[in-house]
Amino acid sequence: MLLEVRDLHVEFHTRDGVAKAVNGVSYGVDAGETLAVLGESGSGKSVTAQAVMGILDIPPGRITGGEVVFQGRDLLRLKEDERRRVRGAGMAMIFQDALSSLNPVLSVGDQLGEMFTVHRGMSRKDARAKAVELMDRVRIPAARERVKQYPHQFSGGMRQRIMIAMALALEPALIIADEPTTALDVTVQAQVMELLAELQREYRMGLILITHDLGVVADVADRIAVMYAGRIVESAPVHDIYKAPAHPYTRGLLESIPRLDQKGQELYAIKGLPPNLMSIPPGCAFHPRCPLARDVCRTDEPPLYEVSPTRGSACHFWRECMDD
Amino acid sequence: MSDNLTLPAQQGSTGASTETLLKVEGLTKHFPIYGGFPIKRKVGAVQAVDNVDLTVGVGESVGLVGESGCGKSTTGRLITRLLEPTGGRIEYAGQDITHAKRKQLAPVRSEIQMIFQDPYSSLNPRQTVGTIIKSPMEVNGIDPAGGREKRVRELLELVGLNPEHYNRFPHEFSGGQRQRIGVARALALNPKLIVADEPVSALDVSIQAQVVNLLQKVQDELGIAFLFIAHDLAVVRHFSQRVAVMYLGKVVEVGDRDSIYNRPRHPYTHALLSAVPEVAMDDETENRERIRLYGDVPSPIMPPSGCRFRTRCWKAQDKCATDEPPLVQISGNRDGHLTACHFPEDPTTESRGEDVVLDPALKALEESAGKD
Repeated sequence: MLLEVRDLHVEFHTRDGVAKAVNGVSYGVDAGETLAVLGESGSGKSVTAQAVMGILDIPPGRITGGEVVFQGRDLLRLKEDERRRVRGAGMAMIFQDALSSLNPVLSVGDQLGEMFTVHRGMSRKDARAKAVELMDRVRIPAARERVKQYPHQFSGGMRQRIMIAMALALEPALIIADEPTTALDVTVQAQVMELLAELQREYRMGLILITHDLGVVADVADRIAVMYAGRIVESAPVHDIYKAPAHPYTRGLLESIPRLDQKGQELYAIKGLPPNLMSIPPGCAFHPRCPLARDVCRTDEPPLYEVSPTRGSACHFWRECMDD
Repeated sequence: MSDNLTLPAQQGSTGASTETLLKVEGLTKHFPIYGGFPIKRKVGAVQAVDNVDLTVGVGESVGLVGESGCGKSTTGRLITRLLEPTGGRIEYAGQDITHAKRKQLAPVRSEIQMIFQDPYSSLNPRQTVGTIIKSPMEVNGIDPAGGREKRVRELLELVGLNPEHYNRFPHEFSGGQRQRIGVARALALNPKLIVADEPVSALDVSIQAQVVNLLQKVQDELGIAFLFIAHDLAVVRHFSQRVAVMYLGKVVEVGDRDSIYNRPRHPYTHALLSAVPEVAMDDETENRERIRLYGDVPSPIMPPSGCRFRTRCWKAQDKCATDEPPLVQISGNRDGHLTACHFPEDPTTESRGEDVVLDPALKALEESAGKD
């Protein structure tokens, strides 16, 4: 395993109380593998990634338990300056909003080159040459001319390519992409996703793809982990999940998306709202919205049952869910 | 090619309704750009919407799709007269409202309402939900039977919120609930037409379905016509009876839902449909045709000559650079299905055998990967 997250817990201390954002998340990624972490806003998918990356705001955030083992070392025990060396060279992150993640007053060449001057101690001239090379690699046309331009002179898709180039700069073993295509148009979305998948294969990187879009996931992921209220409720190879979801929440999500080849009637909608993280329901957190909920769901928190050797579901009635 | 064309058919000639509620002809909006020093003068214009024709029948829901910057939202704002059109004509219920004055517009304004994309910034945080929903009635001087407060409670119930939450503030509600408040506000005046600008794109998947169902219920039960502006083709298909596809300020294809989704003719519509990442429930759908467009949408300040899509089109020829294709019915298409293309694609969404790859670098990469 390239990265293994074990039983991670993260809390946020706010004026109104303690929000339990991540409650015992475990997942792993191999080199060359793509893991998609799927969930709605507030499910803890981004917070988990931030804890892995070491960019969680502490305080108000606090990691209250768990391990993040990356290439054999528990990152949570490293000192800040050691962690900084892992960031960028070992693992890198791509953010959703490229415009606000790039510095508006530095040219993209300077920002890309900074990776090499800071981490590799290159001269500015060499770093600039490297920046052009990277921009070529993410297929930005006329890279040599455009390297001097500023982020606002690029379109949304191009900016996201620059983010990808920046993440790739030091050839990290792991890339975490947090909603990398959410802000883009469909035609551009397809281009960027394609590029990311292509480069991942080329460099044999591990990729964690955080998204709420089930469609994007279906095309590129090997495995899916579905999160709800700070826990993983289902984890499975991508094809298994679409064929027969083993958790009522996953099933609800799949049924509630309108599809291109369907029209008309009422959409299936999961009733109710996601829980407030300050008062997560006892037992299974999904039970107030679940069509299969019974008494046991209100009292006993379901463990991640083994559905098959590669598959787990945190539902007491996963068999029933799969049979329907 | 020209013998392949027939005269343009009347839009809206298919579908449930025959009566036209809204008719837009040649609608144009150019935003001027000023530059120069020390005297600023007009140096150009963003051609946001250019010569758009559109009709919406009574009780009909029309989808308007396209990528960001294609002018779909501007079109919506022009129709609600939140923006002043540069040219063209907007006719609502037989009345020309293109340049109508405030006073003339007042009765029409109450019949055309809008639902906005962002339920966070479109509700005043300092007003209670009751005040927000009540204010359109106050502004228009409408006194429903039983009082405004009673009407507000009815509306809250209609959109699936607790009427007791009348005195709460927007921050006490989640995104989906706020969007319901936005819907209730739009319904307050019993409108005949609602322009919904990306009403569900800011919401989570499970909540999105709830709001789409609500809008559908509103449309079915109250018979309100919708202009549904969205970039999500699947949602539009679900909601709209007719669909218009926009690209760079122009309508490139319009037709009834089945015709657009099953028999698209314009290359751009093909590309859009194939770009949607889809959940493959079974193995068949996996070998779907893929068209990957090269590059981004060109700048609307200097749109390409002739057909505006030609710079990204795989069928483009010399003619496309010189002649702008008219929006006409191509032979073999159903009535009301109009396409603006000189060299239309086959009317199918079936797999074309191989992918169309328009990115030269990507093509090279794929070929080398294939050899390994």
